Amino acid sequence: MKRQLTVTKESIDEAALLSRRAISVGMGAVVYFLGVVRATEENETITALDYEAFQQMVERQFELIFRQIEERWPIESVRLVHRVGVVKVNEPSLWVEVVAPHRGEAFAACQFLIDEMKRVVPIWKRTVR
Amino acid sequence: MTVTVHFYSYLKDLAACAQTIEALPAGATVGELHCQLMARFPKLNAMRKSTLIAVGVEYQGLDYVLKEGDEVSFFPPVQGG
Repeated sequence: MKRQLTVTKESIDEAALLSRRAISVGMGAVVYFLGVVRATEENETITALDYEAFQQMVERQFELIFRQIEERWPIESVRLVHRVGVVKVNEPSLWVEVVAPHRGEAFAACQFLIDEMKRVVPIWKRTVR
Repeated sequence: MTVTVHFYSYLKDLAACAQTIEALPAGATVGELHCQLMARFPKLNAMRKSTLIAVGVEYQGLDYVLKEGDEVSFFPPVQGG
């Protein structure tokens, strides 16, 4: 399974990511997810979220998640981009893409990846008011 | 022995520092280090039950035995996405 992890202070450029999409002829499903910063956090209005990451451990924990995905589903590729630093309301903080032969495994793997990320990957956020 | 401790997110605020060097007896565990840190930085007690701990880049439990030069990270529940 091909994997590409990017943790960046730069804005997520969806058009650039889509232009680099690579799918082999046996693949029939591409699922992608965009996580966007909401204007409210715990019922309070915010202007942005400020993300902090423990970079080396982020890479290790994502690698462990990717290995689990590889063992469970016939996924061709996973690409994931996570922002760090200040991300304004309405801007994406997370972009995930999973390419697989069929939609079932693509949806399942994408859901698993995000759920596991929220459980073990050391990234934190603070609200900016 | 000595280990380097890193604090992340709001544990960094509670400890009022991002990093500290701690001296421990040989064979000390992660749990003993945690207790030592809570004595030195009492505000960390508020997060005692939810604090996550890693040695290097791997999560470890309180019974993990530390060795000289370990890098130990303390942080709150993760919040990616």
